[in-house]
Amino acid sequence: MTASPPQGRFNSSALLVDLVMNPLDPGYAAAAARRATNPGRRWYDAPAVAFGCALVGFVLVIAYIHTHRSAPAAAKVHDSLVARVHASQDQDRALSKQVQQLTGQLQKVRTQALPGSGGLVRQLNADQVAAGQTAVTGPGLTVTLSEPPKATASPAGGRGGSVPISATNILTDRDVRSVVNELWADGAEAIAVNGLRLSPTSAIRFAGDAVLVDYQAISPPFRIEAVGKADDLATSFAASDVASRYQTLVGADGIGFGFAESKLLHLPASAPRELRYAK
Amino acid sequence: MIAAFALVLGIVAGLVLRPTVPTWVEPYLPIAVVAALDAVFGGVRARLDGIFDSKVFVVSFISNVVVAALIVFLGDKLGVGSQLSTAVVVVLGIRIFGNAAAIRRHVFRA
Repeated sequence: MTASPPQGRFNSSALLVDLVMNPLDPGYAAAAARRATNPGRRWYDAPAVAFGCALVGFVLVIAYIHTHRSAPAAAKVHDSLVARVHASQDQDRALSKQVQQLTGQLQKVRTQALPGSGGLVRQLNADQVAAGQTAVTGPGLTVTLSEPPKATASPAGGRGGSVPISATNILTDRDVRSVVNELWADGAEAIAVNGLRLSPTSAIRFAGDAVLVDYQAISPPFRIEAVGKADDLATSFAASDVASRYQTLVGADGIGFGFAESKLLHLPASAPRELRYAK
Repeated sequence: MIAAFALVLGIVAGLVLRPTVPTWVEPYLPIAVVAALDAVFGGVRARLDGIFDSKVFVVSFISNVVVAALIVFLGDKLGVGSQLSTAVVVVLGIRIFGNAAAIRRHVFRA
């Protein structure tokens, strides 16, 4: 130290300077000064060093083991949660498949039971299509909306609907909803978003970063399929404000947007809904 | 020589015994690690300075760990535990850096 701090006054910067300048424990210097009078090894030198070093090694390795033991535990919890979510999704899928099968059976039985020639069957079928209760096929329009390509993000693989959605999504429920509403207005008879058929009570909402269709999370790219008269749908949709807005966003934000006529679209039935209040 | 051997022995003992760290010790483990590293670097530097003393080495290590743990314990009780443990890590970290620099000067003469 070149300059000693003024005595009798607490000097906090001097404390720091002292800390930086004299990192060695002052005990070593003091012990050396004491030993200068009678040099020579004492009996406990070697055991003490050995003990100290063993203790140091022990502490370090315990800390290492402890840190690395708890890390896999957290990963295990995460994995088990992911597995449970996937199992529930599988179960959900299996159950909805069963529901569809049973609905199909029900329909068959009903068709047999109802008088075949009457307008009743036709009326029922039309109503069920409108309510999204039966799977439909037909020509139509497919609109796709996708996020701008990210430089850092790796392409999300894995299962549809279960891909974690990053916090920087541009597309929200509002975008999906406006396209869907425009397609309804253009005369679509049935619409599905990412394979989820919309019914009259369907809701397209937003929770956190996920777009929910009937409480099921879907992730971009969004694929909105509308069954209807393909030419009319395409013409009206192309002329709509919605389409021109997203055309602009393609240039501005780099989102993906496109629509194409399809000869044959297969839309699944929507999950049957229990009406609790309507009679 | 003895030191290196004992260090390896301690590591092996830790690996073989694999003691479970009690929950109440957990907050003090990082402090103990930093204090241990400080003791090692201080000891090596004193050795190179030619003033190594076995008693100072062991006593300073143990007392550093105890005092640091005590400070953090007090801090925990008073609600400033994380700040105090940061303070302990900063102080010991500065010492480690200083001693490492001194060792470097001894070894490389630079």
